[in-house]
Amino acid sequence: MFQFIRMAYRNLLRHRRRSALSALALAVSLALLLFMAAFFKGEMRSSLEDTLRLNSGHLQVRNASYDPEKYSVAWQYLLDNPQAIASQIAALPQVAFATPRLLASGIVSVGDNSVGVQVMGVDPASAANDPYRQGLISGEFLSADDRSGIVIGAPLAAALQLKVGDSLTLLINTAEGAVDEQPFSVRGIFFTGSSTYDKGIVLLPLAKAQAFSGAGERASLIFIMLHDRELAPQVAAAITGPGFKTLTWVEMNELLVLVENFSNAYIMILNLIILGVTVTVIVNTMLMAVFERTREIGILAALGMKARQIIALFLTEASLLALGGIALGLLVGWALSAYFGQVGIYFGDIGISGMVLGDSIHPYLMGEDVINLTVTAFIVTLLASYYPAHLASRMQPVEALKAEK
Amino acid sequence: MTLYLRLAWRNVWRQGRRTLIIAVAMGVMMSFLVLYDGLIGGFEQAVYGNAIQLLGGNIQIHAPGYNEKIGRKPLLALDDPQALLAAAESQPNVVAASQRISTGGIVTNREGAFSVAVIGIEPEKEALVSPVAQNISAGRYLSAQDGDVIVIGQGLATAMNVTLGDRLTLVARAAHEQNRQRTMEIIGIYDVGVPSVEKNTLYLALGEAQQLFGLDGQVTEVVISLKQIGQEAGVISAISAAQPGYEMDTWVNSFPELKQTMDMKSSAMGVFGIIMLCVVAIGILNSQMMAVFERTREIGVLGAMGVKPGGIMLLFLLEGTLIGLMGAVIGALLGTLVNGSLAYFGMDYSGLADLTEYTALISGRIYSQMVPLKVLQHAITVLVIATLAAFLPARDASRREPAEALHHV
Repeated sequence: MFQFIRMAYRNLLRHRRRSALSALALAVSLALLLFMAAFFKGEMRSSLEDTLRLNSGHLQVRNASYDPEKYSVAWQYLLDNPQAIASQIAALPQVAFATPRLLASGIVSVGDNSVGVQVMGVDPASAANDPYRQGLISGEFLSADDRSGIVIGAPLAAALQLKVGDSLTLLINTAEGAVDEQPFSVRGIFFTGSSTYDKGIVLLPLAKAQAFSGAGERASLIFIMLHDRELAPQVAAAITGPGFKTLTWVEMNELLVLVENFSNAYIMILNLIILGVTVTVIVNTMLMAVFERTREIGILAALGMKARQIIALFLTEASLLALGGIALGLLVGWALSAYFGQVGIYFGDIGISGMVLGDSIHPYLMGEDVINLTVTAFIVTLLASYYPAHLASRMQPVEALKAEK
Repeated sequence: MTLYLRLAWRNVWRQGRRTLIIAVAMGVMMSFLVLYDGLIGGFEQAVYGNAIQLLGGNIQIHAPGYNEKIGRKPLLALDDPQALLAAAESQPNVVAASQRISTGGIVTNREGAFSVAVIGIEPEKEALVSPVAQNISAGRYLSAQDGDVIVIGQGLATAMNVTLGDRLTLVARAAHEQNRQRTMEIIGIYDVGVPSVEKNTLYLALGEAQQLFGLDGQVTEVVISLKQIGQEAGVISAISAAQPGYEMDTWVNSFPELKQTMDMKSSAMGVFGIIMLCVVAIGILNSQMMAVFERTREIGVLGAMGVKPGGIMLLFLLEGTLIGLMGAVIGALLGTLVNGSLAYFGMDYSGLADLTEYTALISGRIYSQMVPLKVLQHAITVLVIATLAAFLPARDASRREPAEALHHV
């Protein structure tokens, strides 16, 4: 066996340029496969993470009869004593923070223009609002006792031509099923990185939102972030109580999970195409190498090498090539993913009406993908070399020796 | 030159088997590139095609002055919608062209008031392309004779707590800045799995809309559905040549976010395609180089017989180009065949991922996109790479000392 490896190694070195190019082709393919996997994984992760951070949280506690599509603030759909529940949950060791929120639907109007929005009453002191607080591009965040302040997203501000200090009229649905409207003044304008999301949401202090909508001390939901989102099912099981239910991020984001499955199918097909190109390159080079080395194979056979052994020799050569290519490909693929994972791939120049969208993708390489793709690349190389090796082993020694130089 | 060409042609066929292997390999690689492009186009159509139909078709045509007041959805009647329809329908890429009246309104009941887009449609025409017609979850789709009945989305039905047969009050803006109010019966509910869209749009028959909004015999919009995303520009220029003076927009203008997402995806895909091309180039370079180095002795003989280095180089370049040409032809044929059959029969990819459920907007079957121009483009790329790949070994070969080359085993 060891002798085979030594012979294969020498054979490869005898055609340095060809060996190097074959290994390079494999390396580039593998690097491409890895980077593509990292790119899509990174894209998925960021959209999921944004959604969790901004919108759904890792867990939500709601009234058992609450319907998130309705944004109703009628009392029978809301949670009683949200502060007490939230502080109990926040005491659990796995929980990073838990805070009550009130959701209502509303219409923001300035002059003749009006835009439908989701109104979110938040506890300004909670760390759960950090994505909004850190995303402030002008003005300041709400304070708990602010009775006339509102914080809005940058795309909404641009659409209605609002700046900090301007006033707007907010109309919302109330607990009695009627509507109420009041003027507010813009305290701050935020941008979270997702313009679609920022366009449709405005923030009020929880106390003001409760008073305005007639919800009293009640809240729509408790927004919970965990230290580790994988623990969501266990923690959800631990939070029980009469009249409310606990939902995990998986249950709340079914569409996103669906899209992830969809893009997995997409990547799978593209991977097959890339592998197809690689196989073609390998089969082509190996076939040509076999024909070029007809005489050499003839000598080997004349010296008494069995067909099995010739196949083994060629497959060993292919394995050595594959190992070299894979090592290089892993290095390049990992380096690319790591570099762009840090820096991010910036897509901001495709803005809407000149606005910077800051949406960049940070590729993320998963260990699982690395192993799968590397093993696949290796197996595919060996399979692709089998036919040329088989062809070499079938040559008749005498005929092969006579072959043209 | 003719002599060299003849020599090159003979050389190419002296090693027929080798030539075939290289040419077939190039062809296979090229057809993979063609397939890659075709599938990406097909995926775009599968993911976004239905969404674009739902949001208002690939192209919308409005009367002049519409865009200036777009925020208010002005009710400006089109001069000659029939001529526009005829111009659109004469284009081969157009699947359907239909007339609409599109305005804004509010529906109310005990649960509250909801602002919606109110769209009067030609049901027979839209039934062919509209995801709404294909995803009626209760009741039925509209028909041309329908009076005061509407089709609403599941999202709106849930929010308003209404069901089939219930009545809603619709207040919508009619011509001359007037508001019209009418009680409408829900005759159908559509469910496309996207509550936010369903909540915002309701449909009624065009005839009823004309009568309700004071636009007898008139329409405000012509919407056009195309076979594939990306064909918009050609169709628009053809229609505006025949019928100038209208404002024509594509979904790109109306939904820049969607366009942005698609652009982002396709620029990333473009980069991946280029990297793949590099793999192909390495493969071609490798086989061309092998083909030349195998013939070192032959080069020595040519040199000894007095062929100048330039001549040797030209000969080898010509051989490379000829093989490249064969590869490109094989690739074009194979690529068109494979991609064409995928475009015709489609491919069910849902088995590749556990897509147990879909929203109605994403189709589980993709039809590859056929763009002859792309095939030509790839054929030229392969030809150029093959020639360039032959250049390196050809230069090496031309610089050999004849005496040394003759000694080469």
